[in-house]
Amino acid sequence: MIHFKNVSKLYPPDVIGLDHVNLRVEHGEFISIVGQSGTGKSTLAKLLFAEERPTHGVIEIGGWDITKISNRDVPLLRRQIGVVFQDFKLLPKKTVYENIAFALQVAGIPSARVREVVPRVLAIVGLEDKVQRFPHQLSGGEQQRVAIGRALVHQPKILVADEPTGNLDTLNSRDILELLKKINEFGTTVVLVTHDREIVNRLKRRVITLEGGKITSDVEEGRYKL
Amino acid sequence: MFTSIYRVIKFALQNFWRNIWLSVITISMLVLTLLTVNILLVLNRATDQVIAYVENRIEVNVYFNESADQTKVNEALTYLRTLPEVKDVQEISADNALVLFKEKHAQDPAVLSSVDEIGRNPFGPTLVVKARAAKDFDTIISALDNPRFRDEIRQKDFSDYQSIVGKIRQTTTQIRDGGIVLSIIFFIIALLIIFNTVRVAIYIHREEISIMRLVGASSRFIRAPFLVETILLSLFSVLIVMAIVYPTLALIEPKFSQYFGSGAGGLTSYFEQNGVLIFGAQFIALLFVTMVSTALALRKHLKV
Repeated sequence: MIHFKNVSKLYPPDVIGLDHVNLRVEHGEFISIVGQSGTGKSTLAKLLFAEERPTHGVIEIGGWDITKISNRDVPLLRRQIGVVFQDFKLLPKKTVYENIAFALQVAGIPSARVREVVPRVLAIVGLEDKVQRFPHQLSGGEQQRVAIGRALVHQPKILVADEPTGNLDTLNSRDILELLKKINEFGTTVVLVTHDREIVNRLKRRVITLEGGKITSDVEEGRYKL
Repeated sequence: MFTSIYRVIKFALQNFWRNIWLSVITISMLVLTLLTVNILLVLNRATDQVIAYVENRIEVNVYFNESADQTKVNEALTYLRTLPEVKDVQEISADNALVLFKEKHAQDPAVLSSVDEIGRNPFGPTLVVKARAAKDFDTIISALDNPRFRDEIRQKDFSDYQSIVGKIRQTTTQIRDGGIVLSIIFFIIALLIIFNTVRVAIYIHREEISIMRLVGASSRFIRAPFLVETILLSLFSVLIVMAIVYPTLALIEPKFSQYFGSGAGGLTSYFEQNGVLIFGAQFIALLFVTMVSTALALRKHLKV
């Protein structure tokens, strides 16, 4: 599904983001990428949805070599990978419904299909009763649910969550984690980037630890060990 | 295709309405800029009319000797009327000249008594010559040196008029040149204001633009609603400017005519007759500048 072959990312002048990373993630897996700040976790996530390009190596997603993906093709890639961020990245002047629908509309999906998909996604993330709210009228947990809903509209094969619980309290974090597990059970590969010890330990899934841009441990049913 | 167009227009309208304060600020900046341009336009037009009014008022009086032969006077009159530079020639007969002189000095008994003392009409016939333009007086002056009636002319009050005409011509040229320079400066200022206003408006949206990119929106899909919004902003601005300019002109027009006569007015009618051209051109120019500014400002934020 996801294949990193000897991938390095260098930032000028001499900052190493990732250092010769080899990684293979199979379809339907739920992996956590952990590590302290500045170890390359977010760089790895950004390489997945082409916000960054690798300096060396090859990245393949579902057999598609995205190493040197053109700017024109980036929107196509992003419509196939759901992405969730720590700061939610919702459009502030759009309602819950419009934020979710937007991801479909940019892909040219017909309005009838949008009207069909969005309520289903809203039901999955449990926000059917808040469709007309604007992001500033929601709690952090609710905003993150909207972001997850938006990431799901294309029924992506992969969901990348970059510190999705970073801005949430314990209770909301657990809810979000349960939601991610549910999405994974539907067959979506989930890549969770986090430094939240409790979440990783609760998951009991594959854990990849990064240090200084290198993978230092890759354990099935791992725990947060740093 | 139609779905995309519908969505682009819908997003543009949403953007305009949901960021209403940003829209109001942008429109007010555009309106202020357009108003400056229109003030300059009105000033140019008014200057032209004042110049035309003053030029129209200048006339040269050609005084003939009191013993001048009427046939010579008629000859001079006909001759002057054939000159393309001459707009109009009126003859004041000797008798009329005396009546007019007496009317003019009715409050001055000393002058009247001195005329009575002469015991006869001291005036000869007079020709009042109006030129088409101030610069034409030189030609008319030299034309009056024609030997056929040169000796019959007692006095030509050219000397005074020559200096006035010269001054007016100089001022006219200076005002017109100044107007052009001022217009260029204003145009550059207007361009900079519009460009920066649009840049600030787009800068405020930078976070949203990056989010749109992250959820898979193509550059074209992000750019289009912003461009449609500039059409709305430009249209509103021009409509507001029209709503300000016409009543203002109607208000100042009577005062303007008071000074320069109704013939010199016509500011409102000028804007009414050329309104489509004036404001149409302003709309197109504004649209062009705002669209180019938007596209340039967006380019920077679309590189995500």
